This record gives sequence, C-alpha cells and structure tokens, in this order.
Amino acid sequence: MARDGETTQRVPAAQEPLTRPPAPRRDGSGPLPQADPQAGDPMSYTYTTDLAAIRAVVHRYAVQAGLAEPRAIDLVLAVSEVAANTVRHARSPGSLKIWYDDKEIVCQIHDEGIITDPLAGRRQPSLDARGGHGLWIVNQLCDEVEIRSGQDGTTIRLHMALGPRARRS
Amino acid sequence: MDLLTVTVTARESAGEPYTLVEIAGEADVTNTDELRRLLDEEVQQQPRTLIIDMSGLRFMDSSALHALLRVSRSLDRQGGVLALVSPQAAVAKILRLTTADRLIPVFDSVAEAAAG
Repeated sequence: MARDGETTQRVPAAQEPLTRPPAPRRDGSGPLPQADPQAGDPMSYTYTTDLAAIRAVVHRYAVQAGLAEPRAIDLVLAVSEVAANTVRHARSPGSLKIWYDDKEIVCQIHDEGIITDPLAGRRQPSLDARGGHGLWIVNQLCDEVEIRSGQDGTTIRLHMALGPRARRS
Repeated sequence: MDLLTVTVTARESAGEPYTLVEIAGEADVTNTDELRRLLDEEVQQQPRTLIIDMSGLRFMDSSALHALLRVSRSLDRQGGVLALVSPQAAVAKILRLTTADRLIPVFDSVAEAAAG
C-alpha cells in the first residue's frame, strides 16, 4: 500500500510473481481452486486406518451423485489408494471431503504426509516394483487429479464427471 | 467381523493335488501383512498349483495386489503355478488396470482353474 505523499513505484514485471500469489494451476503449483460453492457443504470424514468405512462412504455418495456403478467402483478404488498412502506414510489421521453438483463429484483427501516426487503417479511402475502403483492407478481411474504437497502436508483432489458427457469406464 | 477371512483347503483334481485359498471380505493396506503371512505359509508347502478363489472378495487395493504378485513370483521360482478365480468387478478392475491379469491366469471357476 502506498502511504500518503509517497509516489507509487512501478514494480518491475520480473518481480511480480514475488508480490502476487500465482494464479491457480490445475497441473502445477499454487493453491487449489476453491470448492464449488454451488455444491453445498462438503461431507467431512476423518480416518486413521478404517479404510473400509471410507470406501463405504465414497460409494454411497458416488451413487447418490448419480455416478454409474463401474465409475463409482473406480472412485472408491482411487480414494482407497490415496487413503492407503496416509496409512503407510503419514503419522497422523487423514481427512476426506466429498462434494458434488450436477457436473461432477469431487473427493478431497488431506494428510500430513509429503510427496517429494513431482511426477508421482504419472509413470506406470513395473509389476515387479515394490510400490508406486497407488497414485498411478488413481491417475488412470479419475477424470482429473490435482495434487498439492508441501510443508502443510498433501492434498489430493479427485474429480469424476457426471452425466452424459462423463467418460466411460 | 473381520475385514478379511482366508480359508485354506487341500484338494485334488484328476489325481493332482492343489491348494485352494478362499479370500473373502476386503483386502487393503491395513491387512496386507496378515494376508502375506498366510499366503507365504502356503507357498512354503511348495504346491504345484495354488488357486485363490476371490469370489467373496469385495475389494482389493494395490498392496494386496503386491502380495499376490509376490506369491506368483515365489511359486514360479519353485515350479508352481498361481491361478485366480472369479474376481468381482472392483478386483477385476485393478487386475486389468495393472495388467496383473496378463501375468496371473484368471478363471471363472475353481474347476476350470484346477483343470489348468
């Protein structure tokens, strides 16, 4: 803020990213876009190791949102794989939020674990690999996957489109 | 109720013995260690054929899949064979997606699997 009597200085363009938060990018860094306010309050759920309960909740909401059964199964598998990473790597409980409107259902999972590999889940691991299948599977199953990881932990948002334009499973 | 139940029986088909393992419930990271331990015990018996009936398995995640792939590799090394039977939709999906179903044969019934 410019104080009274002070001339406003033009900030060189190169410094802009330092003074203005970057616009949200779906495939990169920066904050996740706000959850769709039209979708109403998200359902919130905290979990430690009760993944079966998580799967039951996701399936119930997926069906309620109108997702076809094969894709509901896909979403359940995807959320379970992400939540399994919480059980494996995070030392604290995870949280799941679900919301939907007439266009899509979104499941957001947050835990205190940190993903350091920027390409996590983008490459198919060999069947001999000891791990790494989880996030790859998630990327195959969901219409869109957004991952943010940093000192505050990891947030993963999984999107499944609803309606006639939804990708077939 | 346990999330996962594993039942093992020794059987025979046309004079050939095989081990039948029935897995029912939901297999995920929270019970993979137990699943691996139970399957390892059977692998150590060096069966020629180990058949896993998955018809009662509602869900399987990638950790449980790793346990199965491990069994497949171990049996392969000792000259045995692993076969899977009747995966439900969610289980069939992860098998197909990871191409594990190209490595491990999948059958519609225990009889078919036993006949090889």
